[in-house]
Formats: sequence, structure tokens, C-alpha cells
Amino acid sequence: MSWDFISNLLLASVRMATPLIFLSLAELYSQRAGLVHIGLEGLAAIGSLVGFLVSLITGSPMLGVLAGALAGILVNMIFAYATISLCAEQIVYGMAINIFAPALAAFIYRVYFGAGSTLVQVTLMNNLSTTLGITSDNFLLKLLLDQTPMVYLAYALVIFTAIYFNKTKSGLNYKAVGEYPKAAATLGINVIGVKYIACIICGALAGMGGAFLTTCYSNTYVDGNVAGRGFIALAAVIFGRWSGGGVLLACLFFGFCDALQIRLQVGSFGVPYQFFQMIPYIATVVVLALIGMKKAGPKGAGKPYLREDR
Amino acid sequence: MKNSNKLISVLVPVASVLLAFAIGCAVMAGLGANPLVALQSLWTGAFGNLRNVGTTLARATPLIFTGLCACFAYRCGVFNLGGEGQFIIGSVACCYMATQTGIEGFPAIVLCLLAGILAGGIWALIPGLLKVYRGQNEMIISIMLNYVATLFMGVVYTNWLREGSVPQTMSVPDTTKLSRIFGLRATTAFIIAIVVGLLIYYFLFYTSKGFQLRAVGLNMTAAEFNGFSVKRYILFSFVVSGAIAGLGGSAELLGTQYRLINGFAAGYGFDGVAMALIAQLHPLATILVAIFFAALRVGSTTMQAATGVPTSVSDIIQALVIVFTVAGLAMVKLSQFKAAIDRIFARKETVAS
Repeated sequence: MSWDFISNLLLASVRMATPLIFLSLAELYSQRAGLVHIGLEGLAAIGSLVGFLVSLITGSPMLGVLAGALAGILVNMIFAYATISLCAEQIVYGMAINIFAPALAAFIYRVYFGAGSTLVQVTLMNNLSTTLGITSDNFLLKLLLDQTPMVYLAYALVIFTAIYFNKTKSGLNYKAVGEYPKAAATLGINVIGVKYIACIICGALAGMGGAFLTTCYSNTYVDGNVAGRGFIALAAVIFGRWSGGGVLLACLFFGFCDALQIRLQVGSFGVPYQFFQMIPYIATVVVLALIGMKKAGPKGAGKPYLREDR
Repeated sequence: MKNSNKLISVLVPVASVLLAFAIGCAVMAGLGANPLVALQSLWTGAFGNLRNVGTTLARATPLIFTGLCACFAYRCGVFNLGGEGQFIIGSVACCYMATQTGIEGFPAIVLCLLAGILAGGIWALIPGLLKVYRGQNEMIISIMLNYVATLFMGVVYTNWLREGSVPQTMSVPDTTKLSRIFGLRATTAFIIAIVVGLLIYYFLFYTSKGFQLRAVGLNMTAAEFNGFSVKRYILFSFVVSGAIAGLGGSAELLGTQYRLINGFAAGYGFDGVAMALIAQLHPLATILVAIFFAALRVGSTTMQAATGVPTSVSDIIQALVIVFTVAGLAMVKLSQFKAAIDRIFARKETVAS
């Protein structure tokens, strides 16, 4: 194994971890408010399609990401209304979103491009180094500068999240909603309001995570391009013990698995490439199996909050 | 009260279907097609003549299996989202049995189906064991295993059992294929699916084990206190649910597809979950919903030819049905809504008496 291989692998890990960071943070904000959301895969799918379309039409990947976030919020409002106001079971409704949102994305794509469309491509977001005009072969410089703005945003969000949930009053109130909503309500916290805000944040982040795939990673949209990342993000939140820093490490690990898989495919070694593609999924199963029973998640997560209940 | 509940549990999905179709029609009109013509061609495509009915039932068959798979596990309170993986692993085992062992005829069919059942059951055992002994989230694990199974099938049809230059496996021998019903596209696989549905219905509602399984699903703690072995029921429900999907996979291979190829079974797992939820975990209702889903799919091809509306509009309608049904079922459980319903029924009863 050459240094080249390793440095490329590490650079790719950071890139592949980014969509997972967005999706995991989306899940984290949702669960911290007591909403277990297994529909991130769907939110990311619609985010990725809308991000693709808008960056194709406007020529600006930035606007694409913004539109992806908006689409994520819109679709997630369905989830919010059903689970918060109608008290639908969160798991079941997350599943409904997983079925609805990708179908919607596929439909919009078909309608926009027609049936027998050719492959449409968009220009990807520039790396910081390209924008600044710096080219270097130095590994550290590449790691720091050969990244899209989305990567810096992801890390900034992780730092913000860690501070918000641990050091601010508002963050502690937010967490209280996820732990014990009734106690939070008696303290004067608007439980329903916080839950709705959580859904807005979750939708935006998940939409951005999806949009990353079509504006920063691959320059085209295909059905199923989220490829289970929405579910891996769920695992990353569990693995990261529901904390900002933990989630980041978990995402870097899963990102590394993804990068390794791509690198190994190129090398091939006479093994069918599908075995390498399995790596991220098997790693997720193994990691979950190893963590075991320890429960550290918000105690109120998954339960509906009925104001009238006494 | 009981009757009103039953009525509501039928009314909600029906209303959801109507609402979904209304939105679907609005979308079609927006695309410049005549919704009435579209709906009519949808109907003719799915049920217009006996041949089309056969095609619809053939399309429904795999969906019935994955629907029953999701339904059975969720009755025991565990969410098996891995129906697709279990379906695929079952079909891979079946494909190996049918093409590599040299056996043919009726015994081959039985062995192939058994191989599928076994493989599906074992594949489902993985999330089951991890759930029971490691307390892990069975949903994530079963979904991850879907991806692994799909990729594994990829290895099989691009490498191990590949035939010729096209990435696909060789075909199942003619004598091992399931026979068609009256020469239609639907095969005996459909009959197997119906029988499985009836068996599950009988087991869940007419046996004590089935009662205990449902008790575990309704309240695990209470079931535990009653001395039911919760762990054993969870494992059992996972294995059986995987076995149903695995049987579905092998029946689909022997009945319709004959060979493994890219895209085999894609989306069947989540479709199954959607159908089980719309049917509110009732096995027989699941079969009906599966036929409805299949009709939408088969009919949408005719609709596309007649009106130019893309077939994916049927996916939207399906997705809306699930979105509305689940929300509707939650809504009728809200206390305000319940009170309103009770008032209506109380008034009727006083009028009647």
C-alpha cells in the first residue's frame, strides 16, 4: 500500500463522511426533541433531486443546496403534522415518508426530462482551493483546502451542535423536550413548538445531505442515489451516543468504509466488486452488534406527546 | 363501539385511496391529460379482460409475499424492513437449486421452494438474533442486510451463475417452472400466496400461539409478566416472516422471472411494509391491498400508452395512499375525534331504540 493510496483514501473519507454528517445531525436534532425519524432516506432523496434540478436550472450549486434544504423542510412538514399533531406512530410514518418522497422525486424527474431522456449533468460545486486558486500536492493542504464549502459547513454545524446542546439554556430546554416532555411543559417550554422546530431543522439538514450528493459528489441524479445513507445515519447517531462529537466520529468511520469500498473497487484484485460495495453496510451491522444494549438515547424518543394526558 | 371501530378501520383506507386518486387526477390534468380517459385506461389495463387480470395477479404475487412478511413480524411488535433481502436471498438459493443440482420436475419445485424458505428464514435470523441478544435496532440491521443481499445477488448474476455475455443467470429448466393458471400470466405461485395468507390468518387469530404472538406485539412487558417467552416469539416471528419472503422469492423465480437479473425484486420490501400498514396488519386485507397495488402498476402502462402520463404517477398514488392512511388512522385515535364519533353513534342508537 502506497502513501498515495492512503492519502487518497483519507481525502475520500472526509468527502464521503459529509452527507452522513448532515443526515446524522438531522436525526440528532429530531431525536433530541423526541422524534425518531427513519424517513431520512426519503428526505435525502427529494433533497438530492431538487438540489440537482435547481442547480441545473440556475447554474448555481449553492442555490441547489438551498432548494434541497427547502424541499426537505416541506416534505418533513407532513411528518411533523402527522406525528406531532395527529400523534401517528413515528416509525410507521417515517416509513411512509421513505415510500412517498423517493416516489415523488422519481416522478418529478420523469416529468421534467420526459421518458427517453439522455443523461443530464450539472457542474459541481467548486473546491475552496479552486476558488482561491491554490494548487498543491501537500496532503495537509489538500485535506484542508480541496473541499467544497459544504464540508466546512458540516464541521461548523457539528461544533455548533455540541456547544448548543451542552452549554446553552435553549439547548438544554430542547433536550428536555426529548427526555421528558411533560416536565418540560410544566417548566413553561413550548413542547409542540420545539418539536415543530426540530422537524424544520431535520428536514433542512436531511435535504442538504441529499443535495450534497448531486451538487458536490456526483454530477447527475439517479433513483436510489442515497443508497441507504439515511439509515446508516441512524446507526451513526446510535454509534455516536447522541452527541455532536460522537456523531462526527461515527460518520468519519462510515465515510472511511465508503471511501475504502470505492478505492478497493478500483484495485479490484480479482474479487467481484460487489463484495467491496458491501463494506459500508456490513460495517454498520457489525458496529451496531458490537455496541450492544447500552441505551443512551433521549428517553422520550419515539413516544407521542399528548397534551391532554394526565 | 366495536362496530364503529371496525367501520373506521375500513373507511380510513378507502377514503385515503379516493383522496390519493383525486390528487393523482389533479396531477394528470396538470400534465395535460384527461383524467377520466387515464382512469379508464388504468382500469382496462389492469382488469379489462381475463389476460390482463392474469397479469395483475402475477404482479400481485410477490407483493403478497412481502406484504405478509412485514405483516407477520409487526404483529409480534418487531419491524422487519428486510423483506426485500430475504426475498432475494430466497430466490438466490432457489436459483442455485434449480440450475446447479440437475434435479427436475415436481420434486425439484418442492426442493427449490424449500431452499428459498430456508434461506429467507436464516437471513431473517440475523436481525432477529441481534435484536434479541444485543438489543439492537432491527430496522436498521434488516435494511442494511437488504443492500448486502442485493449486492450478493449481483455477484451471483454477474459472476458465479452468469450465462453468456449478458449479466444474468441461466434460466430455470422448463420442467421446474410453476405452471400457469388457465394459460394466464398468473401461476400456481399466486395460489401458494393465497394459501400462505390463509394459514397466517388462521395461525394469528385461531390458535393460542398466535394469540400469544399478538400479545407480545401489543405489549411486550405485559406478555413477559404473563410468562410468555418474548424472546422466543420475536425470533420465531422474524424467522417465519423471513421464510415467507424467501418462499416468495423462489416462487417469483420459478413462476415469473425464471432468472436473476439486475433490478430483480427492487422495492418489493418497502412495498410490502406499505401494504401491511394500509391493511392494518390483517393478512387477508394485505392480499387485497397487494392486488390493488399490482393493478395500479399494470394499469399504469396502458395509461401511459393512452394518455402519455408517466407510469410513475401510479407510484405517487400508492405513496399518497400510505401517507393518508397512516395519518388518518392516527387521527381517528385522537381523543377529540373519538368523542365525536361516539356522539354520532350514540345518537344513532337512541334513534334506533
